[in-house]
Amino acid sequence: MATKIDRRNFLKVLGLGGAGAALAGCDMPSYATLEEGEEQVFSYLAPEEYMVPGIGVWYASTCLQCAAGCGVHGRVREGHALKLEGNPDTAVNKGKLCQMGQAALQTHYNPDRITSPRIGDKNVTWPEALAYIKEKGRGAPAWLTGSIGGHQAVLLDTHLRASGGGTHYAVETINAQAWQAACADTLGDAQPNLHVDKASSILSFGADFLGTWISPVKFMADYGAFRGDQRGVLTVVEPAMTLSGANADHWVAARPGSEAAVALGVANVLASEYGVSISTLPNGAADAIAAMSAGRVAELSGVDAKTLSKIAGTLMSNHPSLVVGDGSYETAAAAMMLNLMLGNVGATITPGAELIPADLGVRSGSTKALADFATDAGAGRIGTVFITGTNPAFTAPGGLKIKDALNNVGLKVALSMFEDETTALCDVVLPLASSLEDWGTHVPATGADRGEIHVQQPLMEKLYPDVLGLGDILLGLSQDAGADGLADFEDYYGYLRTAVSAMIGTELEPAWQAVLQAGKVQAPAQDRAFTANGALSFNVAETKAPAPGQLHLITTARQGLFDGRHANLPWLQEAPDQISKAVWDSWAEIHPATAAGLGLKDGDYITIGSDSGLITTRVFTYKGVHPDAIAVPMGRGHTDYGRFATGIGVNPLSLLDGTQDGRTGEFTNTATVRVQATGDNRHLVRLMDTDRQYGRKLAATITADQHRRNQANKQGSA
Amino acid sequence: MPSLLGNIFKGWADYSKGVEEGGHHDYEHMFAMVIDLDRCTGCNACSTACYAENNLATVGEDKFGARQAMHWMRIERYFDEPDMDPDKDKVEPANETDTQSRGASFLPMMCQHCNAAPCEPVCPVGATYHTVDGLNAQVYNRCIGSRYCANNCPFRVRYFNFYENAESWPAPMDQQLNPDISVRTKGVMEKCSMCIQRTRAGRDAAKREGRDLKDGDIQTACQQTCPTSAILFGDLLDENSVVSKVWKRQQVKLGTYKQDKENSELRGYRIFEELNVDTKVLYLERVREV
Amino acid sequence: MSPVRPKRRPFPWIRTIMAAGVVGALIVLGGQMLEQERVGGESPVTEAGPRVPNAVFPTDTFVGKDVPQPINYSHKLHAGDLNINCLYCHTYARRSKVAGIPPTAKCMGCHTVIATADEKPEIEKLTVMWESGQSPAWNKVNDMPDFVHFSHERHLQKFLFDNPDMKVEDSREVCAMCHGDMVEVGVAKKMRPLTMGFCNTCHENNDGPADCTRCHK
Repeated sequence: MATKIDRRNFLKVLGLGGAGAALAGCDMPSYATLEEGEEQVFSYLAPEEYMVPGIGVWYASTCLQCAAGCGVHGRVREGHALKLEGNPDTAVNKGKLCQMGQAALQTHYNPDRITSPRIGDKNVTWPEALAYIKEKGRGAPAWLTGSIGGHQAVLLDTHLRASGGGTHYAVETINAQAWQAACADTLGDAQPNLHVDKASSILSFGADFLGTWISPVKFMADYGAFRGDQRGVLTVVEPAMTLSGANADHWVAARPGSEAAVALGVANVLASEYGVSISTLPNGAADAIAAMSAGRVAELSGVDAKTLSKIAGTLMSNHPSLVVGDGSYETAAAAMMLNLMLGNVGATITPGAELIPADLGVRSGSTKALADFATDAGAGRIGTVFITGTNPAFTAPGGLKIKDALNNVGLKVALSMFEDETTALCDVVLPLASSLEDWGTHVPATGADRGEIHVQQPLMEKLYPDVLGLGDILLGLSQDAGADGLADFEDYYGYLRTAVSAMIGTELEPAWQAVLQAGKVQAPAQDRAFTANGALSFNVAETKAPAPGQLHLITTARQGLFDGRHANLPWLQEAPDQISKAVWDSWAEIHPATAAGLGLKDGDYITIGSDSGLITTRVFTYKGVHPDAIAVPMGRGHTDYGRFATGIGVNPLSLLDGTQDGRTGEFTNTATVRVQATGDNRHLVRLMDTDRQYGRKLAATITADQHRRNQANKQGSA
Repeated sequence: MPSLLGNIFKGWADYSKGVEEGGHHDYEHMFAMVIDLDRCTGCNACSTACYAENNLATVGEDKFGARQAMHWMRIERYFDEPDMDPDKDKVEPANETDTQSRGASFLPMMCQHCNAAPCEPVCPVGATYHTVDGLNAQVYNRCIGSRYCANNCPFRVRYFNFYENAESWPAPMDQQLNPDISVRTKGVMEKCSMCIQRTRAGRDAAKREGRDLKDGDIQTACQQTCPTSAILFGDLLDENSVVSKVWKRQQVKLGTYKQDKENSELRGYRIFEELNVDTKVLYLERVREV
Repeated sequence: MSPVRPKRRPFPWIRTIMAAGVVGALIVLGGQMLEQERVGGESPVTEAGPRVPNAVFPTDTFVGKDVPQPINYSHKLHAGDLNINCLYCHTYARRSKVAGIPPTAKCMGCHTVIATADEKPEIEKLTVMWESGQSPAWNKVNDMPDFVHFSHERHLQKFLFDNPDMKVEDSREVCAMCHGDMVEVGVAKKMRPLTMGFCNTCHENNDGPADCTRCHK
């Protein structure tokens, strides 16, 4: 009988034939030999009792991925740091950590780390490098650093004094200098405590406090409470949406540079419609406020009277409020005026603490310092410079021509973990230990809460034998320069331990261990007191719409790549940008109406040019940009920063011309640019290509009224 | 041979019993989450913490664009607000304004650990199943890469290793890998496990100390790092846990897709509730002052 | 009219495949039984000592290959003649997923005084390593693939510490369940297959978890 293999019979055939084969195929004895003798295990030599292989040991330290200085707990297994968490005992971040902090592991384990000192192209030993520095150094050396505080800053000052009194330039592209100046001028305290959790409403003029401003993790932790049961209202006024703006109940687009006008306009409404007194404000403020009518605000910023009223109304109905501002001195000062008018000082703004001795405090970096450095270097006043914690060749405005200034310095010594655009210009490069391999003390960017400063300790042995910690290098240089009182110290650990022991009043081991376990130490401190101020001057910028074919550029910063320092970390390159959701490349944000007017659509490559530079990048349209603006985030565009960053994206800082703010000397982060389509188009890679939910209940929203109704019913929400 | 038959009979008995009792397991725990969309700022710390904790590979721009990235936890961002208010006239819809005046909506999305997971029954080799902790588990060494599970997932939270991904960890970056969790190889499906290594370690610690697991013993990586504490994690079978209390207050129940809430304006909801997959992540609606 | 071709029986495809399947199954099953005989047999644990009370002792054995080690350490001498408890050296088994190779400090604790570097060449090797700060690179014998997460702690808890009829002094019996009686060997050798089947059989017989993710996470 002929049986065809057709559909009906196929399964029958497969079944029996297959089953037979399948039954047989289990438990092959050869698996038993798979791993025998294949891997190795290195036993410990003489471990501490608490070191059990297979169980992690946790150490407390400090995160140095930005100037905030959050406390961390590091999990270490078999001598390797594997994971970082926030330190629950530090008042700054209360056990929380942002993505930059999480990525500190990739900074530490990065394959592009410098592992040996070099002079020019040649790898040398430390003694050779130090001898070269001694030989070639001219004059009193200067230091060009990032924000720095704690005992490292004390040692740095010691070195400067001992080596001839050179200047310390502390540079930080993303900073709060305008705010600090306004606070100093208004309150007599540059670093007051800001209580986001105590506010019923927050109004921000371009201060991205949830994203990059001062201490984002602290503010985010407090923001959680702000959005708790007594839900506060957030209003943000800025030219392009930041992370803070994305979370606002009310987001207002203002022409770049006009935030001060809007703030003064709000003050005007408070005074004229709500009768809030302006008589107690410093001289100069009252006039500026009175002059800022709604019409004038609309002319300068594009914000209409209805919006101004709404902002003012929110402030009046939700007390106490907190008003913050940054980007220009005027903006910050105007924000402070609002605080004074609304009685926030003493409620959501309280005096900070002064450390004793004051030289332990943080030298907040600024861009003015970079301008000063460029001037001094250009004039030939700097013979030797030590550069660490900053990459001015990348972050400087294009118009500053920093490379020329640097080339005018006789001897340039870089202390760095990575080769970057600045080390490429230096004569000597010294390899630095990572934050997970080093000792230190750090003062949080928000100031030392009641004197609490953070301690940094190594989580593991150095990955490379030839790297040295910043403190060790500073100590060596200071000893070499003949500084007093340092002869007894073999290394920075010894110096630090002595200093901290003096602070806690004992040298006993258990007390030192307790400090290390807590990750923080109580430094003597004294609360500052607010002092009233006499006079302020407001120079409100005459911002107007750009000429045809031109737009106002804003260089925005994000919590992630920050000012470009984290572009060499794959986790952060692959972490989608919070607003655009783009990865691994740059983009230019334009309002859809503006784009349509210029004949541009998403993915179109455009050139963006100013007198200082030209960049080419792709268009991303969304409604979170002022129609006059084009926002390009900083962070990418490296030409020399390792395998993960080089050649990716564009650097908008190269388009800035280096104009400085009148009062603070800070570089403005805006410029007028010409925009032109190139004709090319390529899809921008993003986490999601849609921005809409298409009627599905994914991220649902309710009104605050609904929310309050529920609480009134005592059914409660979370 | 006898044990095989014995197992079949026992399995059937368990299943029948379970069907009567409304579930097919005797759960020891029911791990679940609450995510408050009003507190979530969209900062992405949770996603990066997950990369660090769970040995996630970075894939680069091209593969990311081909949707071959590994982000077990992703933060979606929407600009519209469908159906925000019953009084629609009061609120100007986000779509129709010319400025993004109410900010953006962020949605942390990861495996929802559905109790009626559509991914579980379709695996040809049984590499994904529901544990007695209530979690949807993925067994990497059993997976043969049919990708049927990812096809079925309505949330698109399953990620397949299309490539070996060894170049994600050039030395010495491989020293950061977490030894408590496998590094997946090419051809294997992976997804959020609610940090199974941490739940295991927490349960073992409790057992070692001879006590019950209590709320707060186990923190997932995302929950621990979230700066605003928008993510809550805990055991729904523990009446004292924070998540139990929130689920109860929000009147959302497991095992049904018809949530008969006394107060229809409560903020808690589950995504794609109508699909009846019984997810275990409760979202609290974002709130906006209008 | 075309010539009539004699009708040939068509090749019986279906029957052939089915028969091949059955024959194949028989071959492999038979092979397995033979294999079982090769590796099967009684556990070499001496009958003199008691098995682990409250546990079903696995009986599969396996003859592992000789794995060379940097130091020729003899279990026969230390665990056998000198009767040192397993947990004295492999301390971490009590608390960790790994039993751990003892730190060199533990060896030197005795061997700076007894059977010192002058007397024994292997100790001299060890002492040189100790003094130069070098860890011996041991080759793993009882190793699991990376996707297997085995916890010594849980097993010792169940069979030794939480087992009312067991004393810590007799920990050797528990260790022998998976490692065989190490007094039979000098340098460590694998004496149990440690395949998944081996683990699963023991789990089934001793009420162990059958949850995949207990071991594969």
